[in-house]
Amino acid sequence: MSRYRVSVDIGGTFTDFVVHDEEQGYAFTGKVLSTPDDPARGVISGLTGLIYGLGNIAFLVHGTTVGLNAFLERRGARVLLVTTAGFRDVYTIARGDRKKLYALQYRKPEPLIPPHDIYTVRERMRWDGSIQEELHREDFEPIIEKIQAEDIKAVAICFLHAYVNPKHELQARKLLQERLPGLSLSLSHEIAREWRDYERSSSAVLNAYVAPIVERYLSSLESQVRERGLRSTLYVMQSNGGVMTAAAARSLPIQTFLSGPVGGTIGGQALSQALKRPNLLCVDMGGTSFDASLIINGQPSFSTETALEGLPVLMALVDIHTIGAGGGSLAWLEAGALRVGPRSAGADPGPACYGLGGTQPTVTDANLFLGRMNPDYFLGGRMGLDRQAAEKAIRSVADHLELTAEALAEGMLAVINARMADAMRTITVRQGIDPREYSLVAFGGAGPMHAAALAEELDIKEVIIPWAPGTFSAWGMLQTNVRHDLTQTFYQTMQATTLEDLEGVYGQLEEQGRQILRGEEVPEEQMGFLRTADMRYIGQEYSVNVQVSFEDGEDGLGAINARFHDAYKTRYGHSTPGAPIEFVNLRVAAFGKLERHTAGFRPAKGHQSPDTGTRDVIFHGQAVPTKFYRRDRLSTGIALAGPHVIEEETATTVVPPGWISRIDALGNIIITRKES
Amino acid sequence: MTQTTKAINPITTEIIRNFFISCAEDMNATLIRSAYTPIIYEGKDCSVALLDENGEVLGQSSGLPLFLGNLEICVKLTMEMFGRQVFEPGDVFYMNDPYMQGTHLNDATIFAPIFLKGRLVGFAATRAHWLDVGAKDPGGPMDSVNIYQEGFRFGPTRICSHYELREDIVDILRRNGRFGYSLVGDMNAQIAACRKGEERFRAIIDRFGLETIWAARDEIFRQSAQLDREAIEAIPNGTYTAEGCLDNDGIGTEPVVVKVRVDISGDQMTIDLAGSSPATTGPVNCGIAQTISAARVAYKLLINPDRPVDGGTFPTLTVAASVGSMFYAQEPVACQWYFTPLGLLIDLIVKALSPALPLKAAGAHYGDSMVIYLAGLDPRKGNIPFLSVEANPGGWGAFATGDGQDGLINNVNGGFKDMPVEVFESKYPVQIRRYGFRPDSGGPGKFRGGCGLYREYRLEADCGLYLWFERSKTPAWGLFGGRDAVGPENVIEGNSSGKMLKPLKANNIALKAEATVTINTGGGGGFGNPWERDIELVRRDVLDGYVTREGAERDYGVAFTADGLEVDIEVTRRLRTELSSSWHILHKP
Repeated sequence: MSRYRVSVDIGGTFTDFVVHDEEQGYAFTGKVLSTPDDPARGVISGLTGLIYGLGNIAFLVHGTTVGLNAFLERRGARVLLVTTAGFRDVYTIARGDRKKLYALQYRKPEPLIPPHDIYTVRERMRWDGSIQEELHREDFEPIIEKIQAEDIKAVAICFLHAYVNPKHELQARKLLQERLPGLSLSLSHEIAREWRDYERSSSAVLNAYVAPIVERYLSSLESQVRERGLRSTLYVMQSNGGVMTAAAARSLPIQTFLSGPVGGTIGGQALSQALKRPNLLCVDMGGTSFDASLIINGQPSFSTETALEGLPVLMALVDIHTIGAGGGSLAWLEAGALRVGPRSAGADPGPACYGLGGTQPTVTDANLFLGRMNPDYFLGGRMGLDRQAAEKAIRSVADHLELTAEALAEGMLAVINARMADAMRTITVRQGIDPREYSLVAFGGAGPMHAAALAEELDIKEVIIPWAPGTFSAWGMLQTNVRHDLTQTFYQTMQATTLEDLEGVYGQLEEQGRQILRGEEVPEEQMGFLRTADMRYIGQEYSVNVQVSFEDGEDGLGAINARFHDAYKTRYGHSTPGAPIEFVNLRVAAFGKLERHTAGFRPAKGHQSPDTGTRDVIFHGQAVPTKFYRRDRLSTGIALAGPHVIEEETATTVVPPGWISRIDALGNIIITRKES
Repeated sequence: MTQTTKAINPITTEIIRNFFISCAEDMNATLIRSAYTPIIYEGKDCSVALLDENGEVLGQSSGLPLFLGNLEICVKLTMEMFGRQVFEPGDVFYMNDPYMQGTHLNDATIFAPIFLKGRLVGFAATRAHWLDVGAKDPGGPMDSVNIYQEGFRFGPTRICSHYELREDIVDILRRNGRFGYSLVGDMNAQIAACRKGEERFRAIIDRFGLETIWAARDEIFRQSAQLDREAIEAIPNGTYTAEGCLDNDGIGTEPVVVKVRVDISGDQMTIDLAGSSPATTGPVNCGIAQTISAARVAYKLLINPDRPVDGGTFPTLTVAASVGSMFYAQEPVACQWYFTPLGLLIDLIVKALSPALPLKAAGAHYGDSMVIYLAGLDPRKGNIPFLSVEANPGGWGAFATGDGQDGLINNVNGGFKDMPVEVFESKYPVQIRRYGFRPDSGGPGKFRGGCGLYREYRLEADCGLYLWFERSKTPAWGLFGGRDAVGPENVIEGNSSGKMLKPLKANNIALKAEATVTINTGGGGGFGNPWERDIELVRRDVLDGYVTREGAERDYGVAFTADGLEVDIEVTRRLRTELSSSWHILHKP
């Protein structure tokens, strides 16, 4: 009997679980402390505590930061990079740009491999994929010697123009696999089949760097859940918003990098469908960071590359804009001015009110001091908060500025809200998107506390606080499909291109996608493919991604052309119909549709009174008597006028004066402005 | 929602400060989003600012380091020329005169006054690089000798009146550039950015009230000024000097002298450029407004680099140059390559101040954009014309706590990236054969200067070659015992005359297919005595290819065993003693 669909989000402090009971038709959540030394341990203890018999699990997906953390803490494997003779330094030059305008003592982002671990072999592809010089097999001898002598576990291979013709990379793999079985190999054309030698080697190196660690982790987790009876496939959340099998994740570990935060955006996409709100601005505010992303017309906003700590990665990913702002953000002074964040108290010592030794005031301290949190119901009452410590920390700064503690605490919130609002402007107003046409979805431990204030900053009319906002990212992981992104650089003018040319490449990419999906046992009828193209006006550097469909009949190219101009106009505010266009990359997203149920992610409610008392909360300098409610006791359809506070285990929702909250049929809190 | 805060408190100030910067970011996004030419939306060759009613900066956003606070001068000069009453609601002004705004004619300054209930409350200002402004050569010449060869020139000119475009003026602009269509597009993008600034600034005033806004402004300026004053106060009083030269002005062969004298007195810094070359025949002259900006860049590299610039910044800085010198260009001298001396000027200011600020200083960097163009017809694509334009990274100077960076773009550029080999070869009929670090090009030192780069091109079609390379006569210098770097060098082989050429500047050398061109950019200066460099770091540099075995022995006194890379301790000890004592004999009286 397989009745549970389960997602697990392994974060830095906590591992979150959402379990959907298909039989009862409702979901419940769980939380355990993460076990960074062996993340599988936390997963197992959580799963076995929540569910009787892992054999009852029909679907298990998890987001993991194992790869990302190994990278951030520089604990990855030692990697050897093999590249084309004459170009050893491309990876280290890193294109020569500066990320800071005014820095005399600038340092480039630290690469993952020193130059002496980069080897070259003689071979040369030309720009069109023709072979100018065959691969010199003998050039591998010193490399093999080195790998054996120094017990190197991972090798990345990036040859010039391998995105057009990967023959030499494939030959190199065959040769190395024969001589060194078990070596972890990352070929640049398999990680990202796109031009740009530095970016592609950087992607391949990053993949190789974390591969052995992710491999070890997944094997360990998989064998442990199998031992305990799991029969269904183990899935891993990907940065592209889809899931893949653990087996596929082993060869493409970089796709797991952003698997945590992406869950929130995909959750937003599910809400968008369930609530029939096509446009959502999703914000996730935790302890140290604030992530903002968009659902536009029911689809998450995507990009095709990103940079991690300054190192570029070519991969399909959900577009998430992050700034350093969260509950742990510290208030500090500079030349008599107040600053809040991006510095954070982190988990240790954490906010002053945690009582773990923090003395500088944080945003959480300000919220607590102003009465917006109940010190006795933090994490459902499992952790007490020290209001006096918060007050002391706030006063220490307030005294310097000759302000009252109340004024400083409210001021800290105003400053951090302004910074978060600016991050929201970055992904909306500055991209030509009007945030007033969006609803705000706020989650994460601190998101619901600030949501109404953020909506006010951007003149957004409606705020949605999903059920269990502290574990919303995990919930989102249950709302996904299997997804694989395939790319082929196709540098050609529109004029010189026929529909047959495009069909040829798309056909190949879809076939590759079909192979991968088959390997993951996705039935043919559940497969779906989405074709897009990166296009631009001739002479430009950056491109715009356009959907390509061949249902447009004879004038397929004309339709693609028109869609490009439209997309360009949306992105840049103008377009030049008639100007010559070129293709850069063709992309296929291969989907395996998974069964899922969106409704009923709220447990049955009890019969206790939701009202847990009245406390003074400071709004605009005034102490206002404010009702506190328990969320799990509020019934569907109830509408309450602000100010009030709604508490639950993982988060606290503040509904300020002038706003009204209502509980919808799915258990979301919908906050809107009071009609005046 | 209107708040009625009377007395300004630090929280309101901080929120308003964030709004000013956010307003500039909105303007910048509007400009970049709607610009027509890649040099703006990809090269980020633009800047914007929100100014108060006196033309002082409230918030700014810049893509190029060089555009540091020279928009306000355009507003102020316009006020001087025509009086404050010239501004009316709905006006937009355009100007590009290098003698007024600095920079070159390609840079278009467009600004709009902002009114609230009939009262002038501020300005929204933008600058962006226009692709072509009607110079004698497309894009702009390399060999101009006067301003009239460089394109059309406008003083402050109203292009919008009462929110309407002045079609007659726009028509003049359109007819005088080679790409009129994109010129008007870029102009409209700048106007849109000004309108965005106007809209956002009005909303901010609406929310806080003008009185609060000005109180916050005064407080923000006070904070910036205080931070700057404290920083200058901390520098010992005295006079600090440095000098160097450009190889030539692009026309003649004589070096062009740049002299810097920095006086620190209390909380004031004066940068005096007296003794620098008079205006040159070739296009390396610079208007005073841009000279001041460059001095501000050097200042900002040393003083509070992370604090955003506003009208309170630089109350501590005076810049002096003599009228008619290369740094105070007057009509009709040529200005197209105005930025070439500025890279050197910035390095020299840092050098002059290095005895006073040893921990903040760095050795000189490789110096200039090191530009190569290749032009011709592409036989692979039906002989369509092509033109590749590249700037090249080089080595940066070492500093008290670290090595200079290897292969980094020059100081007057910012986010500029080299062109990937794969993209280059797909676009142009030229193959790149090698691309990497030039060993031993970084200045030796306890901390090593960064290495320059080599890039070898093999032509697959006949090409015209253009080069603008600099700083061979004053290669990047070291500091505190750190040695100078190796300068740039280019090599052309297989051209029709059969002779090997080594030009640093070139204006259309005709080359046949199969010729090779190898460019080499210079390194950065070292810091501290080379024989004090950690032996393990020297060994690593050899292993990594930044330093050769011979270089390690010669420059650092580190010797290796004959058959490998084990350090020969005995020989090394002897070599290092010799290096140190010969240095002391040479440098001590």
